[in-house]
Amino acid sequence: MKGKLWLLIAVVLTSLTLTGCSDSSSSGGDEHTVTVWAMGEEGKKLKEFSKDFEEKNEGLTVDVQAIPWDTAHDKLLTAVASGNGPDVVQLGTTWVPEFAEAGALLDLSEHMEDYPNFAKENYFDGSVTTMEHEDQVVGIPWYADTRVIYYRKDVLKEAGYEEAPKTWDELKDAAKKLADRGEGSYGLDIDRNDQITPFIFAWQNGYEANLEEGDLNFDSPEFKEAIQYYTSYFEEGISQKQEGKDIVEAFKDGSKPMFFSGPWMINIINDQAPDLEGKWATAVMPTKETNTSSMGGANLSIFESSDNVEGALEFISYMTDVETQLSWLEESNTLPPRTEAWEDPVMQENPMYATFGEQLENTKPGLQTEQFERIAQELLAHIERITVGGADVEKELEEFNQEAQSLIEE
Amino acid sequence: MKLKNRHPYMFISPAVLLLSLFSLIPILIAFFISFTDMNLKGLADWSSVSFVGLENYQSLFADDKFIKSIFNTIFYVIIGVPLVIICSLSIALLLNYGTSKLFTMFRAVYYMPSITNIIAVAVIWGYLYNTEYGLFNYLLSLLTVENVPWLQEPTIAKISLIILAVWKGIGINMIIFLAALQGIPKSYYEAAEMDGANRLQVLFNVTLPLLRYATFFVTVTTLIGWMQFFEEPFVMTDGGPLDGTISIALFIYKEGFQFSEFGYAAAASFVLFAMIILVTMIQFKFRKSDTEY
Amino acid sequence: MALATKKNKWEQALVIFIMVAGGILVSIPFIWMISSSFKPESEVLSIPPTIIPDNPTLDNYINLFTNMNFAVYLRNTLVIVLFSFLGLLFNAMAGYGFAKYNFRGRDKVFYIVLATMMIPGQVTMIPVYLLLNAMGLTNTMTGIILPGLAVAFSIFLFRQFMTTIPDDLIEAARLDGAGEFYIFFRLVMPIAKPIFAVQGILTFIAGWNSFLWPLIIANDESLYTLSVGLSLLQGQYANNFALQMAGAAFMVVPIIIIFSFFQKYIVEGFTMSGIK
Repeated sequence: MKGKLWLLIAVVLTSLTLTGCSDSSSSGGDEHTVTVWAMGEEGKKLKEFSKDFEEKNEGLTVDVQAIPWDTAHDKLLTAVASGNGPDVVQLGTTWVPEFAEAGALLDLSEHMEDYPNFAKENYFDGSVTTMEHEDQVVGIPWYADTRVIYYRKDVLKEAGYEEAPKTWDELKDAAKKLADRGEGSYGLDIDRNDQITPFIFAWQNGYEANLEEGDLNFDSPEFKEAIQYYTSYFEEGISQKQEGKDIVEAFKDGSKPMFFSGPWMINIINDQAPDLEGKWATAVMPTKETNTSSMGGANLSIFESSDNVEGALEFISYMTDVETQLSWLEESNTLPPRTEAWEDPVMQENPMYATFGEQLENTKPGLQTEQFERIAQELLAHIERITVGGADVEKELEEFNQEAQSLIEE
Repeated sequence: MKLKNRHPYMFISPAVLLLSLFSLIPILIAFFISFTDMNLKGLADWSSVSFVGLENYQSLFADDKFIKSIFNTIFYVIIGVPLVIICSLSIALLLNYGTSKLFTMFRAVYYMPSITNIIAVAVIWGYLYNTEYGLFNYLLSLLTVENVPWLQEPTIAKISLIILAVWKGIGINMIIFLAALQGIPKSYYEAAEMDGANRLQVLFNVTLPLLRYATFFVTVTTLIGWMQFFEEPFVMTDGGPLDGTISIALFIYKEGFQFSEFGYAAAASFVLFAMIILVTMIQFKFRKSDTEY
Repeated sequence: MALATKKNKWEQALVIFIMVAGGILVSIPFIWMISSSFKPESEVLSIPPTIIPDNPTLDNYINLFTNMNFAVYLRNTLVIVLFSFLGLLFNAMAGYGFAKYNFRGRDKVFYIVLATMMIPGQVTMIPVYLLLNAMGLTNTMTGIILPGLAVAFSIFLFRQFMTTIPDDLIEAARLDGAGEFYIFFRLVMPIAKPIFAVQGILTFIAGWNSFLWPLIIANDESLYTLSVGLSLLQGQYANNFALQMAGAAFMVVPIIIIFSFFQKYIVEGFTMSGIK
């Protein structure tokens, strides 16, 4: 019996090692393989999509690994820790400073001349900011997204608005009228968990951070005023404080006829509320000083530990080519960050895209510091204290400014 | 029984070796990290990590959020643990009452919450707790009770999450109790019955005492589990409102994986570790004085 | 409790009533999960939720199977499940060792085993990864399987139940000349059937749902499991709930089968002769 048991264990352990060996295809690859990490759906689609690249570049194969969004950050952390990363990685624009600061991304400066697609002039200003970290170039924009207003044309018409509100005052006025329609009706839906919305208002009000000198400017009157504007929507009952209906549901029944969102929302509304067709539209952000919106999306970067830099550069150059960008748009419904792509008739004729094209001209990415995530979370926590806890705006912002400032000075 | 040979070691060594390698050593590494300022940069380049002594621990106790998370965790444990144990024991007794197909089938039914996909849980409980449209408030409105802000008020939100966690946690403890109930030889009941004991007497004098090993196990593991309360606030409230539902484990997750402050997160987890060890040791002490095992 | 003689009709009816009512109450989210998997996306979040889909559809399932590299994911998942049962055996052996032997340092080692349960898993994630990396096991099946084999919870559960096995029984077998492993496999394991059944269920579920490690360790999709494959269907912003519910519903079917299979042994209970 004893002998049998050890035999069993031996067999199992051997087979364990064998499975291990047979399955271990080399990661990082060799000079003929470009390994790419891309997220979620895009990753899955990219696999098929990159066949075209392989055809055009003989001798190079692309190995795409799709990584679920939820756990992408964890996966990247372990890759940084072990230096076992891919050649090319898709990085959300808010993650760029963090990984660049850690030295995980290759500086592309010296390759800029060899690859005309990489030139900064090709991209919207908002995207260009995300390419740089300190004086390095750490990524090339792959796709862009920005926030615009989604609104119900028919509902706004009843409130006397033929078009979407164009200024802060109009937005407030329209929203107020809409909220006054009765119990359960709201004017503008603001997602209180969204990190970028308070910043969008602040930028529109002329706020700017001075990161070079380490001054976040959260004590500036522009910033304060913007937060007051933001919180007033909750205080006056124009925006819903509690978690209410799902936004698409509420948009469908008209109880929340205006909200801010990105390009992905077009498909969601079309899928989930097909009856609404023709009754809704998108419009650029309202203006205070400017009508700035946020710049999101993803860049393609090369991992510092890459062993196929040449191939990686080729691949990124291919992905950022105008033609590729347009066919990628068809494939995945993400917006091209190259200004040239927007001159294409396809982009011009589609009214949904046109709004985004116009908005992209005037965008800013989240503050380019690796502390942005935490700063934004802190801001949301303070705003929650104002809107839900009834705290004083001045006092909360002062506290927030100190916290944020100490975070960045660390 | 006092065999001084190698057999016991042969029995325990495979599992113990694996545990040492994949739990113990990593814990020691994490312990070391808790005295450093390890962050993402440090992960990429070990030379930029510096030793900061007790600084992480000091700033933890100056961190309002952390203090709040300790308070919340204690709140969860004190209310949640007894609830889970009582509920799962009662359900196990209920299911053990009969032996017909119906009773067997309902074991699976009561086990369902623990295998329901967490996103389904979040969506459906989010609906149940929705202030305006939720089922709970609808039912209450029939009784002319005003809307309850299930997830919008810090204390109520904590209780709402406890209800959810109890619902989810019953399944596993229930089957452990069931297995233990099955382990009670029928002869014990027969003997008690012959002595003329009634139902309640049998329950308190035969069944419950014989369940003590299982109860002890369930109590220890449930306590450890609840002190690491994480999933419910993570999917339902993300720690809000006003940090009213943040637990220590969620705090650790946020510091470590949202903000990449590994040193700080590791320090927080050792505070949690110390708390759990303390509580568990107290339990073992009580148990020792109760019955020798 | 399990005696038929004393039960009167009313009591039985009451028990059944409570059981059924409670059962329905607790399983509503589960039922909703199943029914949502047959709904079009537009109906999933409608308020109030519908239990029976208005416009039933199979699209989600079709989408699920056409979009997944199904065979590969299933194979990996099964390999993990298989090896986690080997881990189960290790845990049972350890539990028996702690329960039925006296040896030097037993309590200390046991407390250390327990202590490994008390650290939140996320803290050790990076150290474990670095260890596996140093051993050259990243991107291998071995690297995915090894860290999950020994589970303190499971060792504790086995130990707790095996202490209830009477010493006399084991002593008697020893006097009959049975070897230690023979006793464990032929005597202890059959007695501990209910607890093996519980552990079997738990082990299967853990292996079947394994998600984070396969993802972290694998640099290659050929090592992904079903759960990882499912989560790939999720967009960054779009929550295709219906699709996710279809995935979840699909993942749960084998669990229910395994559950009904193992729970037979929980019912069987202590029928061993020789223990009284």
